[in-house]
Amino acid sequence: MPGASAPRVNSLALLILPSALLFALFFFLPIGLMAVMSVLTGNPVVMPNVAVTAKHYARIGNDSYYLEVIWTTIRIGLWTTLAALLIGYPLAHWMARIKSRTGHALLLMAVLAPMLTGIVVRTFAWMTLLSDKGVVNQLLTSLGLITKPLQLMYNETGIIIGLVHIYVPFMVLTLTGVIGRIDERLEQAAENLGASPWRAFLEVTLPLSLPGILAGSLLVFALAISAYVTPILLGGFQIMTLPILIYQQISANFNIGFAAALGMVLLAISLLLVIAYNHMLGLVSGQRELQ
Amino acid sequence: MTSLAPRSQPHLAASHDLTTAPARRGTTPPRHWGRRLYLAANITILVFLLMPIAIVIVFALNPTPFIQFPPVGVSLRWFEKFFVSRDFMHALAFSLEVAALTTAAATVLGASAALAIARGNLPGSRLIVATMLSPLMLPAILTGLALFQSYVLLDVGRPLWGLVAGHTLVAIPYVVRTTLAVLHNFDVRLEEAAQNLGASPTRTFFEVTLPLVKPGVMAGAIFAFIVSFDQFPVSLFLVAPGNETLPITLFNYLKFDLDGTIGAASVVSILLAFIVVIALDRTVGLRSYVKL
Repeated sequence: MPGASAPRVNSLALLILPSALLFALFFFLPIGLMAVMSVLTGNPVVMPNVAVTAKHYARIGNDSYYLEVIWTTIRIGLWTTLAALLIGYPLAHWMARIKSRTGHALLLMAVLAPMLTGIVVRTFAWMTLLSDKGVVNQLLTSLGLITKPLQLMYNETGIIIGLVHIYVPFMVLTLTGVIGRIDERLEQAAENLGASPWRAFLEVTLPLSLPGILAGSLLVFALAISAYVTPILLGGFQIMTLPILIYQQISANFNIGFAAALGMVLLAISLLLVIAYNHMLGLVSGQRELQ
Repeated sequence: MTSLAPRSQPHLAASHDLTTAPARRGTTPPRHWGRRLYLAANITILVFLLMPIAIVIVFALNPTPFIQFPPVGVSLRWFEKFFVSRDFMHALAFSLEVAALTTAAATVLGASAALAIARGNLPGSRLIVATMLSPLMLPAILTGLALFQSYVLLDVGRPLWGLVAGHTLVAIPYVVRTTLAVLHNFDVRLEEAAQNLGASPTRTFFEVTLPLVKPGVMAGAIFAFIVSFDQFPVSLFLVAPGNETLPITLFNYLKFDLDGTIGAASVVSILLAFIVVIALDRTVGLRSYVKL
C-alpha cells in the first residue's frame, strides 16, 4: 500500500496547473508588462520606434507634486491603520473572550454585516453622515452645539473615517484569530500572581498578540493605500492619492507609461511592506522561541 | 499548536470561575470600573460599525430627495425608481452574471490548487501558498491596471472573460484559504481506511475526500461571490462603457446625485449580503469561519 500511494499523490499535484496557468497569464505576465511599459517611451504596438527611457520615473522623482501625492497616500494609510488598530483591538478581544455563543454570533454578525455591505454603499453612508447637511451636522445644529456646519468631509479626516469603517473588520477578524489562540490561563496566572487585569493585559496578552497586530496592520495599510472610491468621494476630488492619480492618468490622459510607473511605485511600497512584515514577524516569533 | 483556545473547552469550568469571581484582595471597585469602560468602548465601536447601515436604510425610506434628520415619513418611491431604472437593472444583472462566472472559476481553480498543495507533495508548497494568496496583499487597483495595460497591448478590447479573469484572481485566495484550512484539519486516515477497504483512489476522492472538504469549498465559493459582487478597483479598469457592474454604476451615480435611489440600491445589496451571510451560517457556520 505505501508504494501505491505515491503515484496518487503525484497525480493530485497536477491540480495546481490550471491555477498556475491563470496566475502566469493574468497576474505575473501583466505585472511584468506593466514594469516594461513603465520604462518605454510609448506603446510598442502602435508606435514603431519605441525607446527605453527613465523619464516617467524622473517625472515622479523631480516633481514635488507627485511626491506629495505619494506621501498623502502613505499618511492616510498610516492614520487609517492606527485608528483601525485602536478601534479593532477591543472588539477583537471581546469577541475572542466572550463566553456566550449567542453573544459571539451577534458580535460576528455586527463585524461581518458592514464587511458584506459593499465599499460604494458604505462610502455613500458616510457621505450622508458627514456632509455639511449630513446627519451629524443636522444633529449637532438641532442640539444647539454648533451654529456653522463642521467640515467633516472633503478633507483627509473624512477619508480616514470612511477607510477605517471599511477596513476595521479585516483588522478585527485577523486579531480575533490570534487573541483566541492565546491561552486565557496565562492572564489568570498573572492575575493570581498579583498583577492587575490591565497589567496582565499589557504584559501577557498584548505581547502575545503582536503577530496578529502586525498581520492586521499590514492588511489594513495595504488596502487603505490602494483605495479609490472612498478617497475620491469623501475627499470630494480635493485630495489626490496614488490610486486616484493612476486612474486619472489612464482615463483623462491615456498616459499608459506614466500610469505604469506610478503603479510600480505603489507595487514597490506594497512589496517593501510585505518584506518588512516578514522580517518583523521573524523577530517577534524568534523572541518567543527564546523565552 | 501548543495551546487550544479555552473557549473550545466548555467543560473548563475552573477558568470561567476565575474570570468572573471578584479579585481576592480589595481591588473590586477599579476592576468593575475597568470592565465598564471596556464594555462602553466596545459598544461605541459597535455603534460606529453599524450606524452607517442604519442610516442607509433610513435614507432609502425617506421621502425627501435630500437627507433629513429626523426623517419625516416613509416612502418606497426610491425603490420604485431603482427597480424601473434600466441602467441599474442592467448593472445588477451584469454584476450577478460576472459574480456567478467568477465564483465558478475561482471555486474550481482554488479548490483544485488547495488539494494539490495539501495532498500533492509539491515542492515549495509554502511559496505556492504565498503566491496564491498574493492578490490579497497586492493592491487590487494594480491587478486592474496591469490587466488593462495587457489587454490594450494585445488589442483585445474589454471582453467579459477579461473582467472575469481579473475578478477570479482576487477571489481565488479566499477559496484557497478556506479549503486549505479544512484540509489541514482533515484526518488522512479516513482516506487510507477507504482504500484499505478496497476503494479505488478515484472513488476515495469522490466519496471521502470531496464530501469532507465541501464545507471549506462552499465557504470559499460564498466569499468569492461576495468579493466579485462588490469588486470595484479591478472592474474600474476592465468594464466596457455601457456594460458596467453595479458598484461602478452606483459610483458614477454618486458622483452627481445624492438621492434616495442610491439608498434603495444599497438596501437591495445589503439584503443580498444578509442572504449570503445566512447561507454561510447554514452551510458551514459562522463560528467555523473565524477559526480558519
